[in-house]
Amino acid sequence: MPDAIGKHSRRSFIGLAGAGTALAFTRQKTLKIAQWSHFAPGFDEWFDTEYVKEWGAQHDTHVIVDHIPVDKIDARATVEVAARKGHDLFMFPWPPATFQQHAIDHTEIYQSVGNRHGNVNALGHRSTFNPKTKRYFAFADSWIPAPIHYFQDYWGEANTPLGPSNYDTLRAGAKKIRTQRSIPCGLALAPGLESNITLHTALLAFRTSVQDDEGDVCINSSHMTVEALRFFKSLYEMAGTPEALTWGPSGNARAMLARKTSCTTNAISLLRTAEKENPDLAGNIQLRPPLLGPGGVLAVPHVTSCYVVWNFAENKDGAKQFLVDLIDNFKTVFEKSGSCNFPIYQNTVPDLIHQLSKDPNGGPLFKYEALKDALKWTRNLGFPGFATPEYMETFNTSVIPRMFAAVVKGSLSPEDAARSAESEMKRIYEKWRQV
Amino acid sequence: MKRTRRNVLGAPGVSILTLSALLLVMAVMPAQLCAQAAPTTFSVFRSFNPPPFDFNDAFYTLNGIDPNKLDTTPAQRFGIFRQTGPPARNNGQLNWVVDNSNTDPDRKNVRILATTAGYIDDGTGAATQFISLIAFVMDQTFFTGVPDKRGNLMLTIVGDFEAYAAIKQKQPNGTFLTQPCRASLGITTNCFSVASVATPVLRQDWRFATNRNGIDGSSGHGFGYFCDDILGMWIITYFYFTADAVGPNPTPVCNTVLSNLVAKNGASLDGTPIIKTADELNNQLEANNCGAEFQLDQGGGDFGPVWLICPALPDPRNGAIAPDAFLDQVFQPNGIPLDLTFTINFACLKFLGSFCNEFPQTTVTMGQQPATPQ
Repeated sequence: MPDAIGKHSRRSFIGLAGAGTALAFTRQKTLKIAQWSHFAPGFDEWFDTEYVKEWGAQHDTHVIVDHIPVDKIDARATVEVAARKGHDLFMFPWPPATFQQHAIDHTEIYQSVGNRHGNVNALGHRSTFNPKTKRYFAFADSWIPAPIHYFQDYWGEANTPLGPSNYDTLRAGAKKIRTQRSIPCGLALAPGLESNITLHTALLAFRTSVQDDEGDVCINSSHMTVEALRFFKSLYEMAGTPEALTWGPSGNARAMLARKTSCTTNAISLLRTAEKENPDLAGNIQLRPPLLGPGGVLAVPHVTSCYVVWNFAENKDGAKQFLVDLIDNFKTVFEKSGSCNFPIYQNTVPDLIHQLSKDPNGGPLFKYEALKDALKWTRNLGFPGFATPEYMETFNTSVIPRMFAAVVKGSLSPEDAARSAESEMKRIYEKWRQV
Repeated sequence: MKRTRRNVLGAPGVSILTLSALLLVMAVMPAQLCAQAAPTTFSVFRSFNPPPFDFNDAFYTLNGIDPNKLDTTPAQRFGIFRQTGPPARNNGQLNWVVDNSNTDPDRKNVRILATTAGYIDDGTGAATQFISLIAFVMDQTFFTGVPDKRGNLMLTIVGDFEAYAAIKQKQPNGTFLTQPCRASLGITTNCFSVASVATPVLRQDWRFATNRNGIDGSSGHGFGYFCDDILGMWIITYFYFTADAVGPNPTPVCNTVLSNLVAKNGASLDGTPIIKTADELNNQLEANNCGAEFQLDQGGGDFGPVWLICPALPDPRNGAIAPDAFLDQVFQPNGIPLDLTFTINFACLKFLGSFCNEFPQTTVTMGQQPATPQ
């Protein structure tokens, strides 16, 4: 643990002077953190047994960390806000805009971090700022890119040894592979995080989106949504698998690790897991940036890591301090996450590109270099608008994956599915406008 | 390479219309005449931009392209293939010549004369882009897969830069084919061919996204065409009109969109609108299901060119268009260029070293150095 934690914490966080410090001499404080279970092997163990313990020792604080599976995060947070009791710090893998009325204004934390590391980047800002209330409802510390993973041997047999780099080649190559090998394309389609990321990314690549830059629903304003739906129906018919419609959390990653699919979109934790469990398999998995579509090369993050300090938290000051110190130590976070967690504050990992290039598991193709421009092709959830509560409810209720699934299964035409999704979104948006 | 030529054009105060007519005549003259006459007769500007030469093999390798693949029949690399025939239109007209005056260590002695025209994809759709169509890249095996010294794969770089090809869709009987032939997807009948992007199969001139860059976020990975795509490669994006636009029963929306675009830009050889900008394609055609775009299977399954090695001239002024260069553009059946703006711009660049609109509005005073804005 770098010395920076203690040194920085004593000097940098203005709001911590006073009563809290005095209290520290009388009894040890407690900081309760709820955190989604990290996908990267070993990260949670390091976090719990090393990082948090040292931080707690330096701040005379007993830190309790509870890890919650990603698919249970929303439900657990809902329980806590209903009871107005629980953790001080709650970490979400996506912008928790729907919980904003239960969060403190995190502007103070951004300002404190900003004094040391510069302004929050656009991805963090647009993921945690509510332009209506002018408040930050959360603090974004990191994000995880969502590249394409593909098996080099399968795609080499399809005469595309460098993998799919656009949607047309994805379909053509995956079709060939399924025909020759009976190995389907592994893009996630079942409602959940992975399909949300895959399909929101696809919408951007097809130059359409859930909402416009004003935050109004526009899913059915352009024919390109129908085009995207038609494409996925065709992809599914030519190269897909029915299993993709029933996968649970990380089902797409497990299918890749079992070599049951030829490619997928995921965080690189998939590859890190393979490196740990089956190095030969990992050597066969390559990475590509997101697929080029009519709208360009665009993707949403697999994870937008956002911490919330509840407004009912018992140790708000400790929670704030923890976040400020976390950014000071972000270089270690990046390394311990196996280069999964990219920094919101880029100068905390100034040699990020170098680390990706020199990754010991990069192989002869330096596969992790595919991520070096990730910030250029990644847009926040909600793009071209902000991650508003109404957008995030649309995300969390998997409106987009359900729209795609309806078309893929043949239960709705692309036009009807787009209309149906638009109606559902408009109800959600209207509800939030009355809050 | 800096060369200075003296202005020898005659009388002062030539009107721009007269000049344009003169340039037009000169531009459509057979290339052999131009090649003979231009270097000695029409030297009116300072010439310091070199004309285009092909890259040498070492430079291709260094930038992730296998030159051996370029030397094969499907790639049709200049210097080996296509010295005559399309894009050249006239008998004996040469697309490239061996020229040992090259001094660029990254290039070889094959100088490109065929200069392909295109609109710039920057919102204006100006007819200002000129490229050298050196070779076709047919599948991913043309790429070595070795990153350059900055860790970039050429496959990734070129994905940021699209050249938009418009294949003819209209059949002799007047009906339109409204889907591309995609053997990779099993579509092989009742479709328009994508086997070639030679100028005779195009309904309008190309569009090139030379302006994309990392500063304004217009390129996906933050690359700039002239800074990062140093082989000047393009991924071909084919765009076409859908059944809603040109099928037996076009929709009222598409009828309106197409009429407005024809009124604005003129008609292609198919009678459909000429498309010059991303806004026209994306927000008017595609958003209303009147147009669509696609790319070919990078595995070569569609049997057409997927990418081009086709560097745009960074600055086509002041000598980059050599006296013996000729313009490759779409012509109407009667032999008149579809878009005369290219013809005139090319002629101004070739004979006067500048774009036509860089001269004073009413007259060009001879005996002076034409303005060359930096």
